[in-house]
Formats: sequence, structure tokens, C-alpha cells
Amino acid sequence: MSDVYRLEYLRGRKLKVFLAVADRIIPPEPDCPGGGTMAAAGVVDWAMRRIDDSLRKQLLGLLLGVEVLGIFFGGLPFTMNGDGAKDRQLRWMESCPIPPLRMGFFGLKSYVCMGYYTREDVWPTINYGGPLLPERQYADPVARKLCSGEMEVTQ
Amino acid sequence: MTREYDVVVVGSGAGGGAVADRLIPLAKKGAKIAVLEAGPHFTKEDFTQRELEMMGLFWYGGAWPLKNGSITLAAGKAVGGSTVVYTGVTFRVPDEVLEDWAVPELDSSDLAPRFDRIEKDINVITPGEDMVNDNNRLFKEGCEKLGWPVETIRLNLKGCDQNGYCNLGCAAGGKRGTLEVQIPRAIEAGIDIIPNCEVERVAGGKVYARVTEAPDGSRPGPWPAGGVEIGARRVVLAAGSPGTPAILLRSGFGSSLKTLGQYFTVHPALTVYGVYPGPIKNYRGFPKTYYTPKFSDSHGHYIETAFYYPFVSTKHLGLWGMELKNTMKQYDRFMTMIILNHDEALPTNRIELDKKGRPVLNYKISEATVESLCHAQAQAARIFFAAGCEKAIMPCADRKVFKKGEVADEDLEKFIDKRNFIPIKMPLSSAHPQGGARMGRDERDSVTDGWGKVHGQDWLYVADASLFPKSSHVNPYLTIMALADRVGQRLVETSDEWSA
Repeated sequence: MSDVYRLEYLRGRKLKVFLAVADRIIPPEPDCPGGGTMAAAGVVDWAMRRIDDSLRKQLLGLLLGVEVLGIFFGGLPFTMNGDGAKDRQLRWMESCPIPPLRMGFFGLKSYVCMGYYTREDVWPTINYGGPLLPERQYADPVARKLCSGEMEVTQ
Repeated sequence: MTREYDVVVVGSGAGGGAVADRLIPLAKKGAKIAVLEAGPHFTKEDFTQRELEMMGLFWYGGAWPLKNGSITLAAGKAVGGSTVVYTGVTFRVPDEVLEDWAVPELDSSDLAPRFDRIEKDINVITPGEDMVNDNNRLFKEGCEKLGWPVETIRLNLKGCDQNGYCNLGCAAGGKRGTLEVQIPRAIEAGIDIIPNCEVERVAGGKVYARVTEAPDGSRPGPWPAGGVEIGARRVVLAAGSPGTPAILLRSGFGSSLKTLGQYFTVHPALTVYGVYPGPIKNYRGFPKTYYTPKFSDSHGHYIETAFYYPFVSTKHLGLWGMELKNTMKQYDRFMTMIILNHDEALPTNRIELDKKGRPVLNYKISEATVESLCHAQAQAARIFFAAGCEKAIMPCADRKVFKKGEVADEDLEKFIDKRNFIPIKMPLSSAHPQGGARMGRDERDSVTDGWGKVHGQDWLYVADASLFPKSSHVNPYLTIMALADRVGQRLVETSDEWSA
């Protein structure tokens, strides 16, 4: 792994919250990683470059909101709460009577799943054979390298 | 930058491609014609069959949200429009729908010969047994065990290698969308195709647009990046719904055409999954060959076979945590269907503009749609179990993942109920936005006449799904092409008048 992908948006506290949320959306198992990995963060960060500025700001702002809301569910910021409190908070957001928070939950969930299920190392765990034209190149080689684990992702 | 044309077509999907095709005789006689496309120009060699990489083929990466977030739209943004990412499902608009539309000078006797001609041209076929993968076979068997009718979906294919990646662009070129059929013919006839050209507004025979740099890997267009003012004797808007109504609204037509933007329908869709005891590998083979119309009249929905890639499937499942992870581990055992609801056209469901002039999709899911979608989930569960699935996953069920036999058949409608329908939480999607520039009698009830001409504007036409006065009930591309063909015909027939 020679290339390095430096995160542009998911940095610092936002990265910590993203990884913590991702590990509850797709929990890790002894023989199978969860959603909260730097590899997933790299894919999501790459995709965030391609979305509307205002939507990206909303998503990044939401991560900080999730962190603060953690206090109401476990007494601590989201990243410091236990798994039970984290799940309670996410379940509340999922069915929350405030539509923007509900949308926020599903937006985050969508990015977490993108960061996980578009990666080649995950496909065998779901018995997905992948593309029939695996060698066909894409204009932006970074996307492929992130999905195939050929890039190290760092802050 | 300024340019002059005889005809400018805005959009290159089912509508724009069909209009351009109809205008080829004019181009051959020397008329200057351009097709402006907001998206990039990719070809089949560029489609990589990977979800992340192919998100660029869609507006908003394939998840264009309604204002209230309750549904996301998947609409193509590329030369070829949504025909680049459709499955080629071919329906003629049903006669009873056409009668209900009640558009002057539009009836089945006009459309039937157009359908015949277009279907022949784009190679509409009834797929044989050799195109039926396990998912489709099981769907058929399930419906037959229940005694329900199963119809074969007609498809427009030629040289299909059944790779299964239709919705990420066909790498084989087997889908006979406008990228493969009409656009190459138009280029051959001398019609200019201008990719990455987004139209801001139109006014008095002028089109104001902005060209952006071609994304990496796409074919560059002939015009440099920047603003462009294009003079045209005739302008045809085929930017789709919501694109075309948004252009008309930005152009100020909302004050004279009161229904502009209104009667927006989306065919709310819910993709549902069953888990079969063994691998069925729905990700290989052609994804769609059957549907059941059993509940179309009685409950307002069709159930069709479907297939989606892993990431998109996670959206549809509506699960998270270990429930999602464990369910996804059975991805190769997924049996998949899509429910399409015939939503009602209402003036309150409308396309508007935000402060920056971007379309805002103001649409509220009706009680009738919720009831229809819940009913359809119960029927889909019956099909899954009749086909042999051991589990079904239904977003409106009291327990989303449930096993065969856990719920008595007669209790399914109680178990899958609208009390569990929470907007946004329900993973609804749409690939069939329609309406917003409806055809009709005059400016009081519509935006265009029955031939797509905008009321009071002899130079301006509409040729896409925004013309639909109400939902088409069925997958719309063929109906769009037939309506666009009418627009093209009218332009050709009147060319002596407007080209003088």
C-alpha cells in the first residue's frame, strides 16, 4: 500500500463521531470489521467532495450535533457513551418526530453503508461476486484504490 | 458566447432523443439543430459496473430528495438521460389512463402507430426463457402458486449480454436507449450534441445556458466552459420532470400558466426483499422480466421483479445494526421485487424554486398511497413465501424481518400496517417523476396543448414526462418517446412557416 489518501472533510472530532456512528450502524465482529474504519471514512470523504456544498455542510454539522446529543442518552458525548446509549440515541433519531433529525439519521446511515458496502474486501462477506468487468478503469483512480484497499487513509 | 440555431432541444433522454431523431430530415435539409444536455457524455466503454463510480450518472448521485425527505429520486444526468440508467422496461400507456388524461387531440389511435414504429426501431422484445434468472423464475412460480396473473415485461434490448448492471449504464450497449440509438443517428445527421450544458432560462426564442468543463473520463463537448446565449427559432424543453418545469419557472412563465409545476407525480416505489434458502445470485442475469398487474385496478399498484446492488440495497432494507449486517450476509440469497404505486396527481404536489432557482420538490405522500404500499407489502410477502423464501423484510411490518409461518397468512395485512409508516423512515424511492408541465386544453388547466406547445408561445415546446397530466401508471419511457415524436412531427410539419 503505497498511496496515501488524506481526509479532507472527515477530520478531528467529525471523524471520531463518524467512526463511532458507523460502528453502530454496521457493528464489528471478531472475524469481520464494522463500518467504523479509516477505509470506510476514505470512501465517504471521497464521495463528499462530489456533493453540493450546502449538503456537505449539513452532514458535517450533523456529526457534531450527534456528538452533543449524546449527553441526553448516556450522559456523555456520543463518542464517549457506551454501545447501549449510542444505540438508544440512533434509534431515537431514526423515528424522531423532528423530520430534519430523521433525515439526518438516514443521510448518515446512507454514507456509512456507502463506505462499507462499495468496498471490495467486504463483498466476499456478503457473497457478492462484484463486477463482471473488474479491470475496467474509471477516470478517477482514487475511487478504485479506496474501494480496493490500495490506499492508506489518514487525517 | 452566442450561438444561433433553428431548433434547440434541451435534454437528450427519452424525450430529447426522440425529438432529435424526428428532426433528422430537417437536419439533412440543412437546418441547424442542437441538443443541450446538462450531464456529461459517457459511452458504454466508460461504465464500470461499480456503484460508487457510477453515481456521477445521476442527479444528486441517485438520491435527489423531495423537500420533506420522504422519497429520493433517481434521475439520469448524462447524454442519454435516464435511458442510460433504466432497465428498458417497456409499457405503452394504458388506454384507460389515456382516456382519463382527456388531452385534446391525443388518443390511442394517434399513439398506437407511433408505439409500433418506435418499438420496432429500438428493438422491443418479449424476453424468452433464456433471459429469466432465478429471481424472476421464483417470482413467476410464487405468483402462479397463488393463482395470480403474471405478465412478461417487454424490454428494448439488442445484444444484451445479461450482465445485470443495467442501472449503472450498460457496458455492452445492449439497452437500446437514446445513447445507443437516437443520439448516434442525430450526430451522424449533423445535429450538435452539447454535453455539460445546463439551461438556466428561456425567453423569446433565446436559450440562456452555462457550459461546464467535461468531467474526467467523459467526452468533451464542442463549446468552451462559460455562459452562452443561443438564439433559436424553436425551442423544445425535454429536460425531464422536474428539469423542464424548473426551466419554465425560472423563465417567468409561472405568472401566466397557473398549473406550471403542479400535478407532480412520482410513482412512489418500495423495493422489498425475501431471503431464499439457497443462493439465487440475483446480481447476475437480466434483472426484470415479470410483473403482476393483479392489484393495479383494485389497490393501485404493480409488483415487478427487481435487482439492486449492495449499497443501494442497504437503503431499501431500512435496517441497521446487526440486523442489517446479518441480513446483508445473505445478499446472494435475496429475492427482490419493486412495488410501484399509481399516485394521484394533485395541484398541491408541485415543483417550485428555491432562492437560487433550483427545483424544490414539494410532494406529500397521500393516505391512499400509504395504504396501497402497505397492501402491496403484504402481497409481496405472500409471493416471497409461495416462492419458497424463508424470510421476508417489510419496512411497514411490526417486525421488519420475519420468518415464513411466524405470521399467519390471514394476519399479514394487520401485521404490515400503515401505523408503521413513518415518512423518511420508509425507504421510498422513485425513478419515474412525471408532470409539472401538463398537457391540456388551455392556460387555465395546463401548460401546453396536446402537441406539447406551451400555451401562448409559438416558439416553445415541451417533450418529456412533465407533459403527463396524471401518472402514467406504468414505466414511462415509451410514452415519453411517443409524445416527443408528436412534438417532432409538429415541428417538421410546420417548418415552412417557422423557418421562413
